[in-house]
Amino acid sequence: MNLSRDENTNGSPAPRRVELRDIRDEDLIVMVQEGHKKAFDELVARYKGRLFSFILRMVKDPTLAEELTQETLIRVYIHAAKYREIAKFSTWVFTIATNLVRNKMRQRSRRPRVISLNPAPDDDEMPVDPPDMTADPSEGIHREELANLINDATSRIPEKYRIPFLLREVEQLSYEEIQQVTGLKLGTVRSRINRARNKFRQLIKPMLKNETLLHELERIEARAAEEKDKDF
Amino acid sequence: MRCHKAKDYISQEMDEHLPPDVTVNLTEHLDSCADCRRFRADLLLGRRAMSATTPELPENFEWKLQLKLNQTLQRTAGETAYPWAEPAPDNWRWFRNFGAAAAMGMAAVLALAVFLGPDNVPGESGQALSGGTSSGVVRSISGGAGNTDRLPLFVDQSRRGGFYGVGSQHPVSAGGFSQSSGSRFFDRGWSGHNTNDLRTIQRLRIQNSQLNRDLFQQQQMIQGMRGQLDTVDTNALELELE
Repeated sequence: MNLSRDENTNGSPAPRRVELRDIRDEDLIVMVQEGHKKAFDELVARYKGRLFSFILRMVKDPTLAEELTQETLIRVYIHAAKYREIAKFSTWVFTIATNLVRNKMRQRSRRPRVISLNPAPDDDEMPVDPPDMTADPSEGIHREELANLINDATSRIPEKYRIPFLLREVEQLSYEEIQQVTGLKLGTVRSRINRARNKFRQLIKPMLKNETLLHELERIEARAAEEKDKDF
Repeated sequence: MRCHKAKDYISQEMDEHLPPDVTVNLTEHLDSCADCRRFRADLLLGRRAMSATTPELPENFEWKLQLKLNQTLQRTAGETAYPWAEPAPDNWRWFRNFGAAAAMGMAAVLALAVFLGPDNVPGESGQALSGGTSSGVVRSISGGAGNTDRLPLFVDQSRRGGFYGVGSQHPVSAGGFSQSSGSRFFDRGWSGHNTNDLRTIQRLRIQNSQLNRDLFQQQQMIQGMRGQLDTVDTNALELELE
């Protein structure tokens, strides 16, 4: 599949260059099946954040979430040939991620948690992110407090309610897509999302009464809107 | 519309899954119910907070992903050209390790059973073998017939004597090499005793008890004959003989 067409030499208007970001997920995975590695890079760029966000809220461990996100994307690449367009690509990806998360949580519940006495990192060669010196420290603290409260509340929702809830709230999958990912009936998906929302509301009540956190939420949303405007 | 039903519908309304007629009813209920309005506002706030606190990936995520993907592809393809690639799992490794450990353990147990046995004294062995009969010959390492200070190699089978001078096919040997099997590994039980010797001792005990029974019977016979002699008139007997 030739994505970038060369300009004509006879002076006729050049055909529009097809950018990878304009291509649907389902077409990109077909390109991956044909051996286009750039198409896989585009899929990774689209899904890495979504997958990490979903998995982190499921397992509540950043290192494990990163590992499972990588594992999901590797499986997408390795098993790309198995994908058939009977379902949306996002449904397929989140089915893989959900199965991996479920397996890992099952393993963790069977084994006692081991805490290493030697906290030396495995990846000494990894580049270290420099701290953002321009950010307001108090703002960072409030944002972290807000994030911790939300993550803590999410992790306390029972697992069977949490998966459909996160797929809906974080990934904004439709009820039908959640049904395909989880294998549940449509009515069950609906009721579980409803129960999870009620539970979540009870758990974030401290935030609902905290003016500082509400103000922080508004500030985050305002900054996100500004960045969105800049992109356009 | 009751509040508990309205709260069920609020969730569906947020996801735009509510039929239009039910949406109208719900809107009417919300206009008149402050509690349900607050409930809906809380749910929407929760959704906003959830999307505002989306966690960020580490900067080097793609670098690590590429590395891991390469390793997985190498492993899947069975490539071994890269020394840093992880080797394929060896499913039989435990078996080989266990087999070697088991063999070493068995060898250690056998060595203990053989060399720490209570009767393994070469000097006594030579004495026992040669002391049974004057004609018994033990050839030591140096070849001397009577040298019992050395480990006896073998015994002359044709001139071998028995225990306490009694002719026997299984002479007693208290250690050293067995004359019958040629190897002491199979002549000893787990207690360290020579099993051939035990069999010989048992056989001799049976013979001794048989001899004792014979001797007792003979003594009984002699005593009876003496009693008969006492009752016979010896003078009349002598006259008859004359």
